[in-house]
Amino acid sequence: MNVPAQLRYSSDHEWVRIEGNRATIGITDYAQDALGDVVYVQLPSVGTNVVAGASFSEVESTKSVSDVYAPVSGTVSAVNEALTSTPEQLNSDPYGTGWVCVIEMSDPAEADTLLDAAAYLELIGA
Amino acid sequence: MQYSPLDNTHRSLGAKMVPFGGWDMPLQYAGGTLTEHLECRRGAVVFDVSHLGTVRVQGPDAFALLQDCLTNDLRKVSPGRAQYTHLLDESDGSVLDDIIVWWVRDDVFDVMPNASNTDRVTDALGGSETTHERAILAVQGPSARSLLATTFPEAANVGRFRVSELSWQGVACTVAGTGYTGEDGVEIAVPVGAAPALWDAITAAGVHPAGLGARDTLRLEAGLPLHGHELGPGITPLQAGLGWVVGWDKPAFRGREALERERTQGVHRLLRGIATEGRRPPRAECPVLVAGVAGVAVGSTTSGNFSPVLEHGVALAFLPPDLADGTEMSVDVRGTMLPGRIVRLPFVKKA
Repeated sequence: MNVPAQLRYSSDHEWVRIEGNRATIGITDYAQDALGDVVYVQLPSVGTNVVAGASFSEVESTKSVSDVYAPVSGTVSAVNEALTSTPEQLNSDPYGTGWVCVIEMSDPAEADTLLDAAAYLELIGA
Repeated sequence: MQYSPLDNTHRSLGAKMVPFGGWDMPLQYAGGTLTEHLECRRGAVVFDVSHLGTVRVQGPDAFALLQDCLTNDLRKVSPGRAQYTHLLDESDGSVLDDIIVWWVRDDVFDVMPNASNTDRVTDALGGSETTHERAILAVQGPSARSLLATTFPEAANVGRFRVSELSWQGVACTVAGTGYTGEDGVEIAVPVGAAPALWDAITAAGVHPAGLGARDTLRLEAGLPLHGHELGPGITPLQAGLGWVVGWDKPAFRGREALERERTQGVHRLLRGIATEGRRPPRAECPVLVAGVAGVAVGSTTSGNFSPVLEHGVALAFLPPDLADGTEMSVDVRGTMLPGRIVRLPFVKKA
């Protein structure tokens, strides 16, 4: 299971790339593998305020639907519109072209509570 | 938990296994459900369906036993043919199980119930369960016969809804021209000891393995019912739109009186197909409304998913029987109204 060392993780299986106040969010390789083939992503709207731990997006596979929880609080500043027509990028490239959105963090200190790669690997038992 | 004779084969192929009807079966292989689905529509796939039950009913009374119990009329077929039929609840005519009967030869029938309903069938018919003596491989798709012909040509020649007793490398198999995908193909019952070798020969011929995930999306596109969703307690064959399964010309079958009452009164709901807009999949048990008539659900979905071929959502739903094809509907998916319309089944026709 691919768990890049430079990213942070939530216990709800989202990954987070921190660059200043910007947090880019996606779902982990483990999450996409558990979901199976993704056929639809309900993206949040740009400008939406999100609260850490609350659901703000849904990912649907042929098998089931899964909530995406905001790993940090803030305002959605960008969404990956390409997922509307090619949601399978969540499966094929979860840490790259399969990114979901960018959140401008309202409380950057929240990022410190996220898991590092070692802790996430332990969580998923890999 | 019960394990298929092909369990090791699936695990070595990297299959994701899931519990299904008391069996541990492959959900998907490495390529994933969408790939497997499209491979079946365009080429050929093989499913392990060993979890289906087999109950052998034989002897001079076998024909009468089946004919007096199950809904369909065996006089429409003959030895060497297969027939889809129902076992009904005597009290209300609801479908206890949907079954394929393989009429193997004169007084020998292999009755194939759904895995978890095998006991209902043996309770009704007796017979001897042979489920654990064989594996069943379903080879399905427009290329199924041509690819199968390279390793088992006699099986590839078994016609639609025909049944033949054949030999593969000296092993006695029963082969039927049946399936659950809406595509052409055959199902092969092979003794457990030879099952891995036959599986390997079929996949070596270029037939890709497919799991229960693709089996479900394929049967949904084909508008085929799944027991526990479109059939089950409280659901009659007439409500499911399967009146052709009922042999009204027979003097008796189990549940006939209850079903006759419904036929006289008319069904209060009918299973229909709904095509929804966009990729978002409708799911089972979503309320269905007539578009523009807010607040009043007129029915409910029984199955729903993304159609890999059509690239939009499709659902089966019980609706009032008088709604015309094309009627615009809304499917309430966890609070979001998905626009859709009633379409004729199947959603996807054979390749």
